[in-house]
Amino acid sequence: MADVTIEWGHTFHLRVLDVGLACCAVEFAAAAARGADMAALGARPFAPEPREANVMVISGTVTDKLAPHVKRLYDEMPAGSYVMSFGSCANCGGPYWDSYSVTKGVDQMIPVDVYVPGCPPRPEALLGGLALLNDRIAADLRAAP
Amino acid sequence: MTPDALLHLVNEITGATTADSFGTPTVDLAVDAWLTSAAALRDDPRTDMDYFDWLSAYDDGDAGLAVVARVWSVALRHGSVLRARVSRDGGALPSLTGVWAGAAWHERETHEMFGIEFEGHPDLAPLLLSEGFNGHPLRKEFGLASRAAKEWPGAKEPGESVAGRKRPLGLPSGDRWGTT
Amino acid sequence: MGHDVTLPERSRGVIALREESCTSCMVCARECPDWCIYIDSHKETEPATAEGARPRTRHVLDRFAIDYALCMYCGICIEVCPWDALFWSPEYDHPSTDVLGLTHERDTLGVWMRSVPSRPTQTG
Repeated sequence: MADVTIEWGHTFHLRVLDVGLACCAVEFAAAAARGADMAALGARPFAPEPREANVMVISGTVTDKLAPHVKRLYDEMPAGSYVMSFGSCANCGGPYWDSYSVTKGVDQMIPVDVYVPGCPPRPEALLGGLALLNDRIAADLRAAP
Repeated sequence: MTPDALLHLVNEITGATTADSFGTPTVDLAVDAWLTSAAALRDDPRTDMDYFDWLSAYDDGDAGLAVVARVWSVALRHGSVLRARVSRDGGALPSLTGVWAGAAWHERETHEMFGIEFEGHPDLAPLLLSEGFNGHPLRKEFGLASRAAKEWPGAKEPGESVAGRKRPLGLPSGDRWGTT
Repeated sequence: MGHDVTLPERSRGVIALREESCTSCMVCARECPDWCIYIDSHKETEPATAEGARPRTRHVLDRFAIDYALCMYCGICIEVCPWDALFWSPEYDHPSTDVLGLTHERDTLGVWMRSVPSRPTQTG
């Protein structure tokens, strides 16, 4: 029951931690500037610290050097937090798929709930991704005992 | 100073082959003249190259590895490019950190990317690569694992579903990506 | 997906395939810098239609897929396609909960053709 309550809280209050690592972060900022659209999805961008967030949006290129720090941010978030991979680099390396230094997808180290394609994705694609995440949380709710 | 006059001046100070590259004199220095020539270009009041811009290297195949540094005179608004060639195996060059302290990070990066030693550098610890990284990725013989692991979709011929022998365009020949 | 967006009709959201124009010549798959276009095809022989004519061989497309998780949306495949089979479509919004769900096969790529503008942009 406690889980269900937490999930229910999530659907109406996505506090987004922006892990902006490259050019996709600009698109994230553009989406975040559409406050009304974000609010319609129950989302508030720019959580001040991981502990106050329940959704992590990784927008940009994760390098092997940086990957442990992204993992640490995830570990500092509350249990049951969600992760969105925003853009080709975070999805699977993107243009740097053959690079010696770029992690080939953040899902290699943390579980990803929603993948948003694009290089970069449009700002509106972030809203689409959040909507899908809401659907997923709602599905989790229905599946809960 | 005209580019031509600067070219002759750099040549006179270093005594080494100097060529014009897009208006900037590029001087090819021997390894043992690397430090003295750099210091001379900095200290001579006619060149006065007191500002260190950058240092890097490139893989020149059989000719070895070429280390390139660009320096600049803030007061006189002119610069020069210094170049030295070192061997692929155990190539070493004296560190410029004693001449321009700003060279330290550039030499660290060049060390990890190309495996070139900089003698006299205070600490050549890796700067950009992740911990435990094996190899020198900007050398041409460095194999990119992703390219080796993934089958090139273009290897199939039209009307076929199995990979033929066609190689990716513009990539080195050989059995594997990265081998020349 | 729950929000209304009006996009310019020529905005570059995703790459669509007009399958009947594709001759499975492999040019796009070979030019793709990300190696993210996968094509399978086979040969079929059509019998001669007239007396003295030779039977003709043609290529039949079996699979055309683009991995949009990997795609860098550079549009090189569209530029190089000699048969004008690939087009920019403005449909950007197709997130997935599974990374494999971002690899779209020719049926989806064909559906996206519906939103491709029919005429070139008027200039001047």
